[in-house]
Amino acid sequence: MTIKFKLFTGILILISIFAVDFFVNQRLSKDVIKNTAYLNNSEAIIRNSNILNKLMIDMQSGLRGYLLTDQEDFLVPYYEGLKSVPSLLKEQKKLVNSSNQKERLDSIHTLHLKWIDYSNALITTKKDTLPEANARYIELFERRVKARYGKRLNDSIRDIFQDFDSYEYRRRQDRRRTLEKSIEDTRFITFILAICSITVALVSGLYIIRLITTRISKMVDLAEEISKGNFKTMKDNQHDELRKLSESLNTMSTILDKNFKELTKKNKELDEFAYVVSHDLKAPLRGIDNITKWLEEDHEQELTPDVKRNLDLIKGRTKRLENMINGLLDYARIGKVKRGFQKVAVEKMLNELVELLVPPNFVVNIKNKMPVLMTDKLHIEQVFSNLISNAVKYNDKPVGRIDIGAFDWGDYYEFTVQDNGIGIQSAYYEKIFTIFQTLQERDAFESTGVGLAIVKKILEDHKSTITVESISGKGTVFTFTWPKYLVNE
Amino acid sequence: MNQKTILLVEDDYVDVTSVKRALGKLNIPHDLHVAHNGVDALALLNGNSPDGTKIKPDIIILDLNMPKMNGIEFLGIIKNYYSLKSIKVFVMTTSSEEYDRAAAENLGITGYILKPLDFEKSKDSPASSTFQLMSELVN
Repeated sequence: MTIKFKLFTGILILISIFAVDFFVNQRLSKDVIKNTAYLNNSEAIIRNSNILNKLMIDMQSGLRGYLLTDQEDFLVPYYEGLKSVPSLLKEQKKLVNSSNQKERLDSIHTLHLKWIDYSNALITTKKDTLPEANARYIELFERRVKARYGKRLNDSIRDIFQDFDSYEYRRRQDRRRTLEKSIEDTRFITFILAICSITVALVSGLYIIRLITTRISKMVDLAEEISKGNFKTMKDNQHDELRKLSESLNTMSTILDKNFKELTKKNKELDEFAYVVSHDLKAPLRGIDNITKWLEEDHEQELTPDVKRNLDLIKGRTKRLENMINGLLDYARIGKVKRGFQKVAVEKMLNELVELLVPPNFVVNIKNKMPVLMTDKLHIEQVFSNLISNAVKYNDKPVGRIDIGAFDWGDYYEFTVQDNGIGIQSAYYEKIFTIFQTLQERDAFESTGVGLAIVKKILEDHKSTITVESISGKGTVFTFTWPKYLVNE
Repeated sequence: MNQKTILLVEDDYVDVTSVKRALGKLNIPHDLHVAHNGVDALALLNGNSPDGTKIKPDIIILDLNMPKMNGIEFLGIIKNYYSLKSIKVFVMTTSSEEYDRAAAENLGITGYILKPLDFEKSKDSPASSTFQLMSELVN
């Protein structure tokens, strides 16, 4: 599974949680809106119901007043009611949804119509001045009013109104309870979803961070190892974008390892070659030298000065060639000889070298305290001996001066060898470290040009460096570094 | 001084001449036989040489680096023969052949002669002192 896919899945889960949350809240707010609308409707129904009830009661009172006093102005509310009750009922029927309530309204309507019939009969007969009408009124009064027909109708209407109102109130209370419960539920769901989304976000975030960082740090470690020259590889079982990176690192490491080994082998072969060649070159050279000497020995009396000079030249060139081959052998041997670590007291070593290499007309000054270190004695000795003998060799002053210094940089040492000799022009700073390169004519100054090449090769072998600074005619400073080896004594 | 038989096993003509001159200069009476490699030397010792010569040398001067059979191989063979075992062997070597020198030493040799054979300049050179020692040993 790729990281992209994992990230996408995490985000998808979060989005779905939020979608559910949104949906639940949406539903709740719809419920609230619906309930508010219902409450408004319900209030209107109760209000209408009250008005209707009052109108009807007023009609009844008006009728009663008229019947008792015979004064027609009592009938004003009655006529009012006749006009407004039907429209109000109609309106009320529209507002009411429940079939029970509709039935109740229908019953009220029916009863009310009956009562109007009853009332109308009484009023018409009472108003009429004809004697049959009066008799009819008396008859009606006796048969209906006294028999409480109207009262019964009114009682029924009042009862139904009461039922109607109480039903409405009850419904309203149910509604309120349902709404409260749904608010409660929504709060709960939202809370749970919030916890879920926080958990999912945390867990998936931590998982992805862990997945990426542990492997990246593994790769960083590997890259560091590679930079130190340890060409390792790493295992990676995941199949995603990072896998490509780790695979490339592994490939790089493997190739580097292969090339490095190849290079080491080639270098060794080259050293071997130089060694064998120079060794084999020496045998015929020795022969030439021997024969030259025999010629001189056997024909000493017969040789003309010219021939003698030429024979000397042959001997001189043979010697030079031998020196060069020896130098090449020394150079090739640097990598061949196994390193031997031992305790080296640099100051003691320097004093021994000075005694061996430096003539009395030189002043040698060891500037500061020299370290005592566990190192490859042969190599550090070779470096110093080459630098010191160069300082002696290339000096034109009546009193030669050699200053040797040391500085501890923590990770490595830095040594300086300074002389007051003939100096080197800056154009040759690089050239002097190349094998067989000399700055003076060989006939004038016998030098093989191997010493500094050996110094450079030894220092490269120890992953160290050498630099040179010089003022032509005034002197030269060679500065080289030397590693601190962690070797147990 | 009785004459000593010396077998020189050396492929280089110059080195052969060099040894001849040295022996001549040191006035050591000798009968010098020369073989150019280990195989020829063994033939001389066994009497299998083309002219049928068989020698019993007092001293063998042995070069290490030779064609066909080199000095170390030759040394390994003669040290296994009871009759040849006691012959004093001097190895001619250059200073750089340390590895071969160690191998020769393990097989049992009497001494070295360091090449180049530079005895003209000084009587104290390693080569000439070895020759002196050699002549004393065989007397």
